[in-house]
Amino acid sequence: MERPDQPEDGEESAEGGRKIIHIDMDAFYASVEQRDDPALKGRPVAVGGTRERGVVAAASYEARKYGVRSAMASALARRLCPDLIFVRPRFDVYREVSRQIHLIFADYTDLVEPLSLDEAYLDVTNNHQGIATATEVARQIRARIRAETGLTASAGVSYNKFIAKLASDHNKPDGLCVVRPDQGLAFIARQPVGRFHGVGPVTAARMEKLGIHTGADLRRCSREFLGQQFGKSGDYFYLAARAIDHRAVRPDRVRKSIGSENTFFHDLYSHDDLAAALLESSETVARHAERTGKAGRTVSIKLRYSDFRTLTRARTLPAPIADAARIQEVALALLAPLEPVALGVRLLGVTLSSLGEGDDEMVVTAEQLALAFE
Amino acid sequence: MKATIERATLLKSLGHVQSVVERRNTIPILSNVLIEATPEGTLRLMATDLDLQIVEAVPAAVDQPGATTVSAHTLFDIARKLPEGSQVQLSAAEGKMQVVAGRARFNLQTLPKDDFPMIAEGELPTRFELPAETLKQLIDKTRFAISTEETRYYLNGIFFHVQDEGSPVLKAAATDGHRLARVTIARPDGAEGMPDIIIPRKCVGELRKLLDEVDGSVDITLSSTKIRFGLGTAILTSKLIDGTFPDYNRVIPTANDKLLKIDPKSFMEGVDRVATIASEKTRAVKMALDRDKITLSVTSPENGTAAEEVPGDYAAPGFEIGFNARYLLDILGQIDGDTVEVHLADAAAPTLIRENDKAPALYVLMPMRV
Repeated sequence: MERPDQPEDGEESAEGGRKIIHIDMDAFYASVEQRDDPALKGRPVAVGGTRERGVVAAASYEARKYGVRSAMASALARRLCPDLIFVRPRFDVYREVSRQIHLIFADYTDLVEPLSLDEAYLDVTNNHQGIATATEVARQIRARIRAETGLTASAGVSYNKFIAKLASDHNKPDGLCVVRPDQGLAFIARQPVGRFHGVGPVTAARMEKLGIHTGADLRRCSREFLGQQFGKSGDYFYLAARAIDHRAVRPDRVRKSIGSENTFFHDLYSHDDLAAALLESSETVARHAERTGKAGRTVSIKLRYSDFRTLTRARTLPAPIADAARIQEVALALLAPLEPVALGVRLLGVTLSSLGEGDDEMVVTAEQLALAFE
Repeated sequence: MKATIERATLLKSLGHVQSVVERRNTIPILSNVLIEATPEGTLRLMATDLDLQIVEAVPAAVDQPGATTVSAHTLFDIARKLPEGSQVQLSAAEGKMQVVAGRARFNLQTLPKDDFPMIAEGELPTRFELPAETLKQLIDKTRFAISTEETRYYLNGIFFHVQDEGSPVLKAAATDGHRLARVTIARPDGAEGMPDIIIPRKCVGELRKLLDEVDGSVDITLSSTKIRFGLGTAILTSKLIDGTFPDYNRVIPTANDKLLKIDPKSFMEGVDRVATIASEKTRAVKMALDRDKITLSVTSPENGTAAEEVPGDYAAPGFEIGFNARYLLDILGQIDGDTVEVHLADAAAPTLIRENDKAPALYVLMPMRV
């Protein structure tokens, strides 16, 4: 395998100046449930559907020991952990806790970019309290979250978003990890590429094949080589490996769409496989929608054939939807005219857009409930 | 072909058939009406959109039997504008049809009658009759709940099925996923063993229009894929929706323990009044129940607020619940009596609405979270 080395470290990577914290609540939904029901403390808990086709939305650390993960089918989770206790999600409670946490953030900075109910980036370079180090800010925030909500959070402190997020994951749960500018490159070099944001199982497997296991391996690859191998993502990987991430913490960032796509190990041909892939993506989208309290009116699918030809199809509905079954139903209807597929399908994704936001706020605040036929 | 017909008769029949014809067609002949003059002295007019077909036979003076097809909307417009009381002479030859009435003369383009598509009815083993009035009730009390969302094609119609629950019944149901409407009547003779069917929305609409002109009974024959309505001079044939209607019984609540009895008219008027300022998108109306005081209110960020108290009969613990005003009005508009029962459970649970437990119609409405 040709892999031209082109080390170009150093000058660009010492990006200092900013102080970014990534806060991530530990096993959020499950922890809230354990907090509110003492009978669940120390027990393996899964928040999510118990129905036949349900998935785990969150798993407590006790459950994770058995291999139970979020997004896993409930049936599989139960097989892995027969004592698993299923709890119905209470999103209004999670939203309330999220609001509490954001009030704490607001005492330190206005530059808060929420990623979901339980995760946010904070830029504390110039914090309200004039605290000199981001480490101290993170320490105070974690202590206050514990005191005011009874829950634990992990924090990653660094000089950009990419490293901060990697760092918060580093000492989970209830951990604090600080990566100073002079440690950034070495920290990334040690990380397995599978932990990088944007590296899914298929990309990880391809990197594995190319001998790229860690951030250090990735850094040895040239920009051109990564571009050839991974297309548009190549550039991102090139910069990530060099700890370069200039993205600002954007408090005003409004999510326009919620999407999920998967690249497959083997190209898909059969209707059943394609439908299953759409269902998986629809469930991921529905989970994110539920987590953020959003619903959308437009469903689109993206389909890439083995020859890399890429199609998108979209449909806008009269009323917003957010549940997986409805999203998949529309996605299947969009897929139907493209079937049977002439070529193998290497990538399939589902996106929900026209989300309730801005003057659509009412869509979110006054939500029409649906009859439960299924 | 050569025939003469009264303008009024022609206009009325064309009025029926032309509404089956879609305004935009990719297949040109689908824009046309098939006109056939029979030796028995009738003019048969026929139109189709490939899923729905109508044939109407009216008396005419036939000089020369034959058939042709011309644009349905054009011929309808001509008939509309011809002088009242005139006799219209239709004659077809060499790719044209001539329409003559009084001093007006039209030469219309035709398409060959042999190209005109017909729905093959096949075998229609189930046959029964329903009084036109009963069929009207079944339609009027359910059709507003039909879904318009094409993705859920199996909800784009009224579901008819027979059942045995003590006595044999025929049920009609429609839902759009937010509300459900169902009417139950005694099973008519001949409907036993009838397959479950979903009658498409367009067929329901055309049928309903035709029913206004039928006095006696409607002759219904059907299979699992087609249905045919004999309506006096008109015969309406439709394909049925090829899909499975969801098991709607599971969404009908049976243990709602909070009962509100209220005058449907004042309830409806109150909802309509406060909804004036509701956001166009959601139409959300809040209903606060506190003893016998029912307060309807709307809060709109753009417009302001509105509230109205409506007297009701309510003894259960007080609470608040939100509904889409449009949906409430649709249902209340179908209640004939002077009280309506609203069976509630909580602000997120399906609500059952009916005149009383003897009433043939029943409605289930999901609330809005407000």
